[in-house]
Amino acid sequence: MKRNLVRIIGIMLLLALAVTPIFAQGQQDEVSDAVTATMATDIGGLGDKSFNDSAYAGLVKANAELGVEINVVESKEFTDYVPNLSGLAEDGSDVVFAVGYLMDSAVKEVAANYPDHWFAGIDIGTYGEAPSNFIGVQYNEHEAGYLAGIVAGMMTKEYAGNSPKLNDENVVGVVLGMLVPAVEKFEVGFIQGVHYVNPTCEVLSIVVDSFTDSAKGKEAALSMIEKGADIVFQAAGGAGIGAIQACSESGVFAIGVDDDQNGVAPATVLTSATKGVAQSVYLIVESVVNGTAEGGDVVYGINEDAVGLASFSQHDSIVPQAVKDEVAKAIADIKAGKRVIETSRAAIGR
Amino acid sequence: MIDMILASQIFNVDLLAASIRLSTPIAIAAIGATICERSGVVNIAMEGIMIVGAFFALWFSALTGSPWIGLFAGLVFGGLYSLIHAWATVTLHLDHTVSGAVLNILALGITRYMMVLAYGHPGTSDSIPVTLANYRFAVPLLSDIPILGPSLFNQTPIVYIMFLLVIFFTWFMKKTKVGLHIKASGEHPYALETIGVSVYKIRYLGVIISGLLGGVAGAYLSIENQSTFTEGMTNGRGFIAMAAMISGGWTPIGAFLAALFFGFAEAFQLRLQISGAVSIPGEFFTIIPYVATLAAVAGLVRKSKAPKADGKDFIIEKED
Repeated sequence: MKRNLVRIIGIMLLLALAVTPIFAQGQQDEVSDAVTATMATDIGGLGDKSFNDSAYAGLVKANAELGVEINVVESKEFTDYVPNLSGLAEDGSDVVFAVGYLMDSAVKEVAANYPDHWFAGIDIGTYGEAPSNFIGVQYNEHEAGYLAGIVAGMMTKEYAGNSPKLNDENVVGVVLGMLVPAVEKFEVGFIQGVHYVNPTCEVLSIVVDSFTDSAKGKEAALSMIEKGADIVFQAAGGAGIGAIQACSESGVFAIGVDDDQNGVAPATVLTSATKGVAQSVYLIVESVVNGTAEGGDVVYGINEDAVGLASFSQHDSIVPQAVKDEVAKAIADIKAGKRVIETSRAAIGR
Repeated sequence: MIDMILASQIFNVDLLAASIRLSTPIAIAAIGATICERSGVVNIAMEGIMIVGAFFALWFSALTGSPWIGLFAGLVFGGLYSLIHAWATVTLHLDHTVSGAVLNILALGITRYMMVLAYGHPGTSDSIPVTLANYRFAVPLLSDIPILGPSLFNQTPIVYIMFLLVIFFTWFMKKTKVGLHIKASGEHPYALETIGVSVYKIRYLGVIISGLLGGVAGAYLSIENQSTFTEGMTNGRGFIAMAAMISGGWTPIGAFLAALFFGFAEAFQLRLQISGAVSIPGEFFTIIPYVATLAAVAGLVRKSKAPKADGKDFIIEKED
């Protein structure tokens, strides 16, 4: 009898401990008259120093400048998507951001169930059929990747003498998280950029199939470095942090993604292919506040100054003016519609 | 296709070194799980123990500036965390699988909470300036052996610790009294109790050993392989360790070899993607390690037998 009691108390204690973090995550703000903008992160979650953090920064800016109330819930599993998005709508959010392509079907399903709320999918297009309250936000990642490719392609060959981190192998690499459209566009743009300035350069690419496994991202980068790669571009979220770590340990350059990632490893990160997720989130919240929001696709690219290349930070002195000019020319050409950049592996025969 | 793979020179020293790096956390956790299950307690909580160890190893490294203190913290907190499992399964007689599952979920919550407490945000921690990778050293003479030398004996500290653990626990289980008691506790606990050895104590010991090793396996990820902690960075390695334990027939050496095989499969597929030998989509390669795991478990599991009383509750009715 006594033992049973202890056993029951034990079970309840363990359960209580296990459930606490779940409740702690779901804390909601009080409902009020102000517009509420919320987001559900992808599995990478807040603190990825990349994509999800960038979207959240957009909400924080909206909170500061537009006075909207904000909230965020994080997804730990694929199965969290629908309950998280539904929960945010239930709690009276005027616009709910689903951050990441993996939420494609979940956000459309939930949008159909809550027609009075706006839903915006970051990296998710309407693909022809979506509820009218769904805003599909996509980026021209291939344009940012292309600019990074120009830098990598020129630095690895012509200007390899400018830094001891570079070698004569004429090989660069790109580490990919999962092969979702945004990641594929980064890669395909990067390859085209490299080959535009350096047709003989070998571009290695590895899919690690995870946005969180930093150990695997590191091994992927190391295997490229073994084959002579001296610049590794990463489009792999948290797994990419491992790729940057590998570059740092092996003394080669890395190129960051989404945000300016120089802070991750200042001596290693040459530049970053950026994507203005924060700005686009802010603009959509603003349109909801002003009542001008419209369903459908929006695409942010170089034309909108939403994607591009971060600064070279302390590496500015080793990047010659010729490289900067080539980047500037590419930006001008893309804006003028003079250069077309493919967006899929199939189109460039990979 | 085979000759193209061979021609691409994928089989080299680097591949072996990468296999070792990738299998280290799996092997250490698998040895821990092996000892635990030999004592009769099923431990599916290795994943959770590893993530707890990974966090505290990094945090203490950051606080003290010494990755060695970090490693010690990973060891201690892994052990402490596993005490919950021992208490729940041995003292409270809870179902082993239920307790393990709860601990895996709880570990995610604890590490997230601690991340916010220590760094003010979830996700990825700041990186520590000095990691155990800075203490890489080549063993004199041994590292001069062709092929095997550079990959096995020019490594980072926890990799050497793994080799020592394999040797130590193989000896420990075969030659020491306590090792034999652990085995007996997993095979015939009542017989063990009859000769006056407390099955409770032996099972506590088994679980704590798995906790200590799980903590070290986690520390490998955060303060040797990487210099940061990322939530969920174990990425299922705790479960792969269970597969290694089973394929390895519940012996330390078997667990190590199975882990090495899984590490090899992973290192191999990454290199195959850039070898140019096979032109199929990259995602296809990423399934290779999982297929290898499945094949190993399915192929070897018939031969390997779990300890008889593994997962069975041990309880002696006493007069109150």
